[in-house]
Amino acid sequence: MANDPREKTDEPGRDLRSERDEVLQRFTRGSSFARELLQDYEALEQRVRSLEGENAKLRATIEADHAVRDLLKKIETLELEKAELVSRFNRAEALQSNVSSRMSEAEHEFSNLANLFVASSQLSSSLSPRAVTRRIKEILAQLVGAEAYAMYLVNADGTELVPIASEGVPGGKLGPVRVAGSELGKVFESGEARVNEETNSNHGSPERPAAVLPLEIDERYVGVIAIFSTLAQKPRFSTVDFELFRLLGRQAAVALVGASLFMRAEHKLPGLEAFLDLSV
Amino acid sequence: MAEYSCLVVEDSPMMRQLLVFALSRVKSLRVTEADDGVDALRKLASARYDIIVTDINMPIMDGLKLVKRVRSDPVHKETPIVIITTEGSQEDRQRALQLGANAYITKPIQAPQVISTVKELLRIE
Repeated sequence: MANDPREKTDEPGRDLRSERDEVLQRFTRGSSFARELLQDYEALEQRVRSLEGENAKLRATIEADHAVRDLLKKIETLELEKAELVSRFNRAEALQSNVSSRMSEAEHEFSNLANLFVASSQLSSSLSPRAVTRRIKEILAQLVGAEAYAMYLVNADGTELVPIASEGVPGGKLGPVRVAGSELGKVFESGEARVNEETNSNHGSPERPAAVLPLEIDERYVGVIAIFSTLAQKPRFSTVDFELFRLLGRQAAVALVGASLFMRAEHKLPGLEAFLDLSV
Repeated sequence: MAEYSCLVVEDSPMMRQLLVFALSRVKSLRVTEADDGVDALRKLASARYDIIVTDINMPIMDGLKLVKRVRSDPVHKETPIVIITTEGSQEDRQRALQLGANAYITKPIQAPQVISTVKELLRIE
């Protein structure tokens, strides 16, 4: 049977077909475009997430940098504080050391003064020539540390020094010494103490005394004390020894002569009239 | 502050004066003097002392005999004893320490040394 062109069929017309194709193409394109858009969107979303992550990291880094900067500042401040504390500590330590050293010096000075005070008070606390001599010997032995020594007084014509007391020297070795030409005589005549600095004081001898000091009364020299040697544990004289030498030089002979005069006066004290005409 | 008592035994008035002078610098220390070993024993019998500072060369009873007697006394057998002497040899020192002395100081004495020795034995700051 021949088809009548006017007969109705299920097949669309040519226009419709092209229109359908067009719509389908458009749809396909739209769909493809939508897919692309979705892909782009997803890519963008990922990129945003990535950027957000980076941003967070950067923020954290910046914050960490801030924290590090703060910490560095703190460290710097602490270092300064530490330096200041160390400096203060050093100053305090130096001060403490200075105080300790001055305390030690003061104690040493006190000890020296105590020795001088005791020696002086002992010399002036007796009017017996024997007791005064004993005390002079005690000062020499106990305070100076002399082991062998002798005390000499000059004879009436001033030519010889005569030993009146000694310790640590055999009796036979000691006798009058001529003033002229002797070492003891030089000290007696000059009034200047002499200390042998060539050898240790504990190695001295009667021939080469460790020290010789003049004995003085009212600006006149009346004798000498010769320290021949000192104790083994005392190899050299100290500052206080020189002070003791000066004290002995000025006070020993005065005490001795005073005691002798008092004994000669049969222990009678002078009457008041002796002091009335002093014109002081 | 705790109080300590010290007995200074020395026949020489000068050395006694010097030792008393030095030891009086220790604030918490009360110092009593004795002329020799016998006088010291008399004083030790009537009072208790925390430390004894004694010379060796003394008449009647010397320092070493005193150390022996003190070490045999039940009251004072533990009392620290400081020997002060002119004898500076090692043998003398050994002998004194063997007899029971706790410290040995040679003359001429230096007050700071005596003070520090006594403080150390009494454990005073």
